[in-house]
Amino acid sequence: MSQLSTIAGRAGRRFVSSLPALFGVLVFTFLLMRVLPGDPAVFFASGPTAGKEEIELIRKQMGLDKPVPEQLLRYLGDIGSGNLGRSLTTGQPVLSDLRSRLPASLELTFSALLIALLTAVPLGVAAALRPNSAIDHLVRFICALGVCVPTFVSGLLLIYAFYYLLGWAPDPTGRFDIFTSPPPQVTGFLLIDFALARDWEGWSAAARQLVLPALTMALFVVAPLARITRAAMLASLGSDFVRTARSLGLSRRKIVVTYALRNAILPVLTIAGIVFSTMLGANVLVEKVFSWPGVASYALDALLSSDYAPVQGFVLLMASIFVLVNLTVDVLYGIADPRVSVE
Amino acid sequence: MTASTLRHAAWVLRGNPVTAIAAAGAFGLCLLAIIGPAIVPYDPIASDVSNALQPPSARYWAGTDQLGRDVFSRLIVAARLDLAIAASAVTLSFVLGAVIGALCGYAGGRLDRYVGRFVDVLMAFPLFVLAMAMVAALGNRVENIVIATAIINLPFYIRFARAEVNVRRNAGWVEAARACGDSHVSVVLRFLLPNVLPAMAVQVSLNLGWAILNAAGLSFIGLGVKPPTPEWGIMVAEGARFISTGKWWLVTFPGLALMLTVLCFNLLGDGLRDILDPRMRT
Amino acid sequence: MKIAHTIWLATALLSSTALPALAQTRAETLRHVTGAAINTLDPNMPGSTREAFGLSLLTYDRLLSFGRKQLDGKWVFDLDNFHGELAESYTVSPDGLKITFKLRKDAKFHDGSPVTAEDVKWSLDRAVSANSLAKGQLLTGSLTSTDQFKVVDPHTFEVTLPKPDKLALANLAVVYPVIFNSKLAKSKATPEDPWAMAWLKENTAGSGAYVIESFKPGETTILRRNPDWNRGSADKPAGFKRIITQTVPEAATRANLVEKGDADIVIDLQATDAADLEKKGKLKVVSTPQYNAITFVSFNTQMPPFDKPEVRKAIAAALPYEDMFKAALFGRGAPLYGANWPDGKAPTGETFPIRQPVKTDLAEAKKQLAAAGMADGFSTTFSFNVGQAGTAEPMAALLKESLAKIGIKVDIQKLPDAQMSTLINEKKLPFFTEGIVAWLPSMDYFYRNFYIGPIRWNYSSLNDPQITEWAQTARFEQDKAKYAALGKDLNTRHFELMPQIPLWQPSQDAVMQPSVEGYTYQFHRQIDFRDLSRK
Repeated sequence: MSQLSTIAGRAGRRFVSSLPALFGVLVFTFLLMRVLPGDPAVFFASGPTAGKEEIELIRKQMGLDKPVPEQLLRYLGDIGSGNLGRSLTTGQPVLSDLRSRLPASLELTFSALLIALLTAVPLGVAAALRPNSAIDHLVRFICALGVCVPTFVSGLLLIYAFYYLLGWAPDPTGRFDIFTSPPPQVTGFLLIDFALARDWEGWSAAARQLVLPALTMALFVVAPLARITRAAMLASLGSDFVRTARSLGLSRRKIVVTYALRNAILPVLTIAGIVFSTMLGANVLVEKVFSWPGVASYALDALLSSDYAPVQGFVLLMASIFVLVNLTVDVLYGIADPRVSVE
Repeated sequence: MTASTLRHAAWVLRGNPVTAIAAAGAFGLCLLAIIGPAIVPYDPIASDVSNALQPPSARYWAGTDQLGRDVFSRLIVAARLDLAIAASAVTLSFVLGAVIGALCGYAGGRLDRYVGRFVDVLMAFPLFVLAMAMVAALGNRVENIVIATAIINLPFYIRFARAEVNVRRNAGWVEAARACGDSHVSVVLRFLLPNVLPAMAVQVSLNLGWAILNAAGLSFIGLGVKPPTPEWGIMVAEGARFISTGKWWLVTFPGLALMLTVLCFNLLGDGLRDILDPRMRT
Repeated sequence: MKIAHTIWLATALLSSTALPALAQTRAETLRHVTGAAINTLDPNMPGSTREAFGLSLLTYDRLLSFGRKQLDGKWVFDLDNFHGELAESYTVSPDGLKITFKLRKDAKFHDGSPVTAEDVKWSLDRAVSANSLAKGQLLTGSLTSTDQFKVVDPHTFEVTLPKPDKLALANLAVVYPVIFNSKLAKSKATPEDPWAMAWLKENTAGSGAYVIESFKPGETTILRRNPDWNRGSADKPAGFKRIITQTVPEAATRANLVEKGDADIVIDLQATDAADLEKKGKLKVVSTPQYNAITFVSFNTQMPPFDKPEVRKAIAAALPYEDMFKAALFGRGAPLYGANWPDGKAPTGETFPIRQPVKTDLAEAKKQLAAAGMADGFSTTFSFNVGQAGTAEPMAALLKESLAKIGIKVDIQKLPDAQMSTLINEKKLPFFTEGIVAWLPSMDYFYRNFYIGPIRWNYSSLNDPQITEWAQTARFEQDKAKYAALGKDLNTRHFELMPQIPLWQPSQDAVMQPSVEGYTYQFHRQIDFRDLSRK
């Protein structure tokens, strides 16, 4: 009980101490967007007869006719009341856009992370069991290969090969086959929603849509995960309790899986947490290439048209997720290893 | 480097052919960057529209692009710019990060707290979007691509240098240096930093590859270097538009160049880690 | 409330029976992919995208729509020929000041209520009074005040004009003056928002051929056919039961989709993909030069050194037109260079743009440059926006190379779209490429909207009293011969001043399955799905 409350207290403190960073992100993004040389009002006033009046109208709608400090104060006030503004690109409130698009990004990122972990952990373990052997070098080479192709190239090539040439993959146009009906929305995660609706056909269709983009993203993060798995495994294989287990004559399998791997998994999870939040922000190009209706491609479009509100909303969301993930990892760590001290 | 480090390096390289190959590759790339423009068969920016989109042949080893420019020549010439972008971006973040981090780690206190906050803010940003926004805001020139790439790498170096210096700042030999009358700045620069640099250098090689990819990504969304300058990222991004029409050479060759370069730097980084920081491996 | 409930029940019933049949209706469904997104359901909303315009013509009706004509064997919209949409017929008084519309008696809104002259009045009043895009457009057809619109009886409606204006009817056929269900819209209006702008942005209150089934901005829009609609040319409902429009940002993927037969139609492919698909011959490729558009190289005529006509002419003589056309567009479009005007005068004046007597001639370019006192050349920047990079980038590279030969050093600037439009609006770019489109491509409309006054669309900042005067006169000139004479003067003067170098009219490549029929190139450069059907 007291241990739990210690953890809760610690999480609370961590959360409070991360608030200034969030605030900083908020202000910094706001200013960065104002520095962008494009005037969104001019861009969106692209009707065939758009004149000064129409431009002024949009500026007024967006509140751009006010001085920047006042705009910032208004913006902060709006955020306080849960209003993230309206996107000119989609014409919708940013909050509802983000809410409907976040599950798509999360589902993609989770799947990619899962694929990456399922590949990286065995590879890392194999490399750690025979350090400096041919296997070790091979693993290292495979991992390095994954991170050296830009995601948009691997994505386009995968589409070309598996959709266009071979016809194995479904058309890369989003999250589910447009000719089937979507499941009743419960969580927004299609795989879960289809499962809840017991629509297994829909489920497998959605899963098939997910494979290529998830694979493209996973390729990129196998390397850091495999590397940390290897290092953690080496450390834990060399530790006293494994040596003890060996001396007791336990089977090799039991030693590796039960003792070494279980101890090595903690640092792997920590890194996985970091990797997750980076991926979520970095999958811009994957979403673009696969027409994936996620938050990152949404922010990209907005950025290129100097549409302030969606970019600000997106960055704030990503920063919050970053804080949240760190917090979760921290708490999990605390539960798993009570010796970890505060600060 | 001391003789023992060299011996250790030689030993690692012998036992680790991959690193040796990577090192050779990196060396070759640097050589190419230097002599490249002198050895190419064609002018990399001279167009010849009547010869546009020719597949690879004996005359054009890697085919020609939309404007009839020789892809092979462009690839070779691009090496210099790509390596320069990556190297200057990483150097910038390395130097700034090391100095700021070391000062914070040494001085602690208010400076440390403020910088720490700033790093927290940067870390919480979705990095690619931050780079995009910065390049869009400052204008898509080579310098700005370098700056944006440097800034998003900065937090790592600051944190790393800060942590390493912080651990050592009260060590006996540091106390001794201070007792000998060295100023704080001199202690940081002459004694602490040199101790921290090798461990940081490992990351440099890994980051080089990453910086090249970052520039390629920026090119893909139209925020890359100016045309008609040859640059791998922009060539890949432009070539990607021709995948669907089967003009494979436009994406394949620049893609391979990019891939091999990044691969070299990554493998080299791995190898360097073994050489400079043996603790990490066993 | 009760009605709503019944409708809900009916829909539920319908959809539950319709679901199993979904697979068989693939042939009756049209799947359209595009790189862009729809951002509002009301085309009048400031900031509407072109795709939103396209959608509004399906969900709403107007009084009139443009007829179509054949241009070099391709169907295109016809500015001088109208079909009744909600109007059954119309008459123009002999003095050209009064237009009387007889409305269809059988036309119904989606909620079943009849379309009356009251609805037309409210909608046109909204168009000229609300702060919307319509205001500025209708101005070009002398439609400015609510006093001009009169309800005669429930099915007769009258428009009066202060002066006879050739573009008045045409303005009623563009996307803005769509007819709203005024009762429904008024019920959603508020004192601050008397024209229900907010509600109509998210909802439709129309009588159009299609009803919105689902609308996810930036992802998909699904439309269901309105079975009661009969305003089409053949007096029957639209051809397809369902239309799915999906946003697919990657152009190469769009090409793959249509080639594999997964998409039925796409109009925004890269020129290289369209050329490739045409060559393969499996699909129908309708390639129509956009006859109401121009891609040009523009100077800022107020900014040195481009304030000197000789400099502009030097550049016009130095551009590698053929190479640019081939490399950037793969020859897909109608060139506007390479004409021959033996007497130095424009051969025609009825239309703009016309082919210009410009060709690559470096000796001439050097001569002009010397005449401008800049024989050694100069340095400048040339800008284009990221959104057009596919065609503008190769073009810019060729331009740079060619201008270097006459001593002009060009630095290419690739600007994000919003930045480019801002710089153009502030008149800060010296030398750049852009494209313009006129919905109503008459000669005087082009001159009035793109070459006069301190407005955004006057890209070259041209300020020539003669062009201004002639263009304003041409607007109200009823006599065809006099109009053409004015046009000839304008076209000649425009060429002499050379504020811009018109390059070409790019083709709109509509690539579709061979079974899809009825495609027409429309003024708003979107597909009018009501015309389409499957064999």
